[in-house]
Amino acid sequence: MTTVAAESLSTPSRTWSRYRHPESTIRFAVILAILAFLGWSVAFLNIDLSRVLGAFPRLAEILATRYFPPDVGYVTDADFVRSVIRTLEMSLLGGFLGVVCSIPLAWLAARNITISRRIAYPFGRLAIIGSRSIHETIWTILFVTVLGFGMLAGTLALTVFCIGFAGKLFSDELEAIDMGPVEALRSVGANPLQVFQYAVFPQVRVAFTGIAIYTWDVAFRAATVVGFFGGGGMGWYLKRTTQQLESTRVAAILLVIIGLVLLAEVGSGWLRKKIGRMR
Amino acid sequence: MAILEVRNLKVSYTASGPQILKGLDFDVDGDDFCAVIGPSGAGKSTLIRCINRLVEPSEGDITLFGQSVRALGAGDLRRLRRRIGMIFQEFNLVNRMSVMDNVLSGRLGYTGPVRSFFKAFPREDIDRALHLLERVGLSDHVDKRADALSGGQRQRVGIARALMQKPEILLLDEPTSALDPKISRDVMGLIRELAAEFKVPVLCNIHDVQLALETCNRIIGMQDGYKKFDGPAQGMRKQDLDEIYAMEVL
Amino acid sequence: MSIAAPTSEHGFEAYLAHKRSRRINNWLIVAGGALLLAWCFWDTIMFDTDWQRMGGALGIGGTLARFFQVDWSLAPKLVVPALETLMMATLGTLLGCFLSLPVAWFGAANVTPSKFFFYPLGRFLMVLSRSIHEIIWALLFVGAVGLGALPGILAVAMRSVGFISKITAEAIENIDPKPVEAIRAVGGNQFQVMYYGIVPQILPVIIGTIIFEWDINIRRSAIMGLVGAGGLGLLFFRQMAMFNYGGVTLVVLAVFLLIAIGEVVSHFARKAVI
Repeated sequence: MTTVAAESLSTPSRTWSRYRHPESTIRFAVILAILAFLGWSVAFLNIDLSRVLGAFPRLAEILATRYFPPDVGYVTDADFVRSVIRTLEMSLLGGFLGVVCSIPLAWLAARNITISRRIAYPFGRLAIIGSRSIHETIWTILFVTVLGFGMLAGTLALTVFCIGFAGKLFSDELEAIDMGPVEALRSVGANPLQVFQYAVFPQVRVAFTGIAIYTWDVAFRAATVVGFFGGGGMGWYLKRTTQQLESTRVAAILLVIIGLVLLAEVGSGWLRKKIGRMR
Repeated sequence: MAILEVRNLKVSYTASGPQILKGLDFDVDGDDFCAVIGPSGAGKSTLIRCINRLVEPSEGDITLFGQSVRALGAGDLRRLRRRIGMIFQEFNLVNRMSVMDNVLSGRLGYTGPVRSFFKAFPREDIDRALHLLERVGLSDHVDKRADALSGGQRQRVGIARALMQKPEILLLDEPTSALDPKISRDVMGLIRELAAEFKVPVLCNIHDVQLALETCNRIIGMQDGYKKFDGPAQGMRKQDLDEIYAMEVL
Repeated sequence: MSIAAPTSEHGFEAYLAHKRSRRINNWLIVAGGALLLAWCFWDTIMFDTDWQRMGGALGIGGTLARFFQVDWSLAPKLVVPALETLMMATLGTLLGCFLSLPVAWFGAANVTPSKFFFYPLGRFLMVLSRSIHEIIWALLFVGAVGLGALPGILAVAMRSVGFISKITAEAIENIDPKPVEAIRAVGGNQFQVMYYGIVPQILPVIIGTIIFEWDINIRRSAIMGLVGAGGLGLLFFRQMAMFNYGGVTLVVLAVFLLIAIGEVVSHFARKAVI
């Protein structure tokens, strides 16, 4: 140890500091601005921080006292089971229509293979981003207002939701394809539809199938609540029981929803894995 | 007394699995630059990692600086590890951190929690890091990210990090096998120069026999978990080498 | 070509038979799917819809026309709810990040405290968070803490936990163990190993995910008002209740604008980080 301690290091020819003139100052200012915004938010929204932490024990307490035991009889009732089946039907139909509509839109919105970058590309992008920006419950309410209560409105809302969801994934997938075959087919004089069919589609077929299944999975999750706003399916029961404060029934419905969503997730995961292996 | 004493060291990774080291004995003294050579699979890397217990030995004794390594608890092990510099085959730098931070991280064993949270290292550590970076020839790359450097430069960062610790022994685990031959010689030369300057003994595992004979003053030859040769590099004959590498199938 | 070049007559026929049965199989799947969709269509659309009450194309056109007469007079009242929505999304994302920390720690196979208890628990919490819709989370929290922005923040946070912690856990599982070994070798303690060896490796992934989730959370916060949690959703609900469809359109436009701003901010933020 003594030898090491006695080592004589010449002082280095320069100094070093972590601080770099413009970058460090800017970074510091940005962090400060974010913190200030967070603080302002807490003040502006009147958030009592002790209530934030108290919320979770309180939720647990309410679940344990008011929501327990779940009213199993209510959810095994024939009418409720029928509404579950209808929810499933809506998600299938909405998912299918959404996927069908989003494939051409994704084609337009894929920068590398779109028909025209001036007109078709912005149109496709706008349609997909527009569908995504508005939450599915708002779509549901809008469709219910125009078309009346029922599953037609719910299905259409799910369709728009799926266009936004699947359209983005589809167009991302299309933008990642190998352009070689596309150029080859263009050079033999194929029209855009033929290029899509022979050069693009074979490359993305498996990925598209996976995305379609995933879309259904997500659509089913959304379908469980469109009924809450008049879109048909099991969500309507949720609304009715919540408004009448029938907590044990709400608990039973929630458990059914969680169970079904888990089943859908496991099922879609299994199917996607199987299809991924066919690649 | 020798700085490092290894007695009857045996290692197997799983209780029922094959033994990697089958009973090794050797010492390392203050002025040793000791190379461990042998065919791949002989257990060289395992041996190096046993010294600072990155790999747990299963039998035998390792005594370093007069302390029994195997008996140490977590805190004592950390205090021992900070006296041991280690240089790795794949450099083991944190790619997304700057060269400076990588070098400074060598001092972590001596840095308190608050300082290490804010990455606020003491002045003398920063000066030492700058000095070492000058010595290894990286003065122009202090603020670059580690993954922006070439292989040889990265290993120089690794050397500077190890020397930041003010080590009392250096462990080198194949420091040159990820580098090309010319750079390998430069790096080994640099390590030898710095080891001599800071008077640190070195235990180095290396597969390039020629390079080992050129750089080191002592050779330990290993084969299949046993020690086959131990002596000065000058005294090594061709038949010793043939014996060590007898089982290597090429 | 290896299959098309049969070694014997028998092999070639077996190949043809296999191919034929596969084609039949595919057709069966397509036909089954079509039948299922047709049944869904009949049951949900034809059977359930009250075509009389909808009032034909004219009625629909009339309602739509009312949506297109945008009520610009509402614009000044939009500023505060829009700000509330943005703040709700931001605070919800922040809280979600904090809640994600233990979940990601439990659910990452290589750092989990116990493979038999905490690992499945972490995985279960991830799935639970994602499988409950934000509306349902909001309903539960409105029941627990009452009306206001707080239940919205909590709901957004709970819904974010699943995605953030899943990505974080995957990033932790995929780290390069070599730098971690190096920090251990210089004598670093647990905290230092984590802070110097693991965090720099996973930070870019985590920040990217947080920005992505924040963007989505703006969307989610915009509907929290529908179940009593303030923001633009509450305004939307009120305009809907007053049948002021022109005002509804304006609120929807405000949501668009807010999300456009969010997209721009997150684009630049992502560029700055990576």
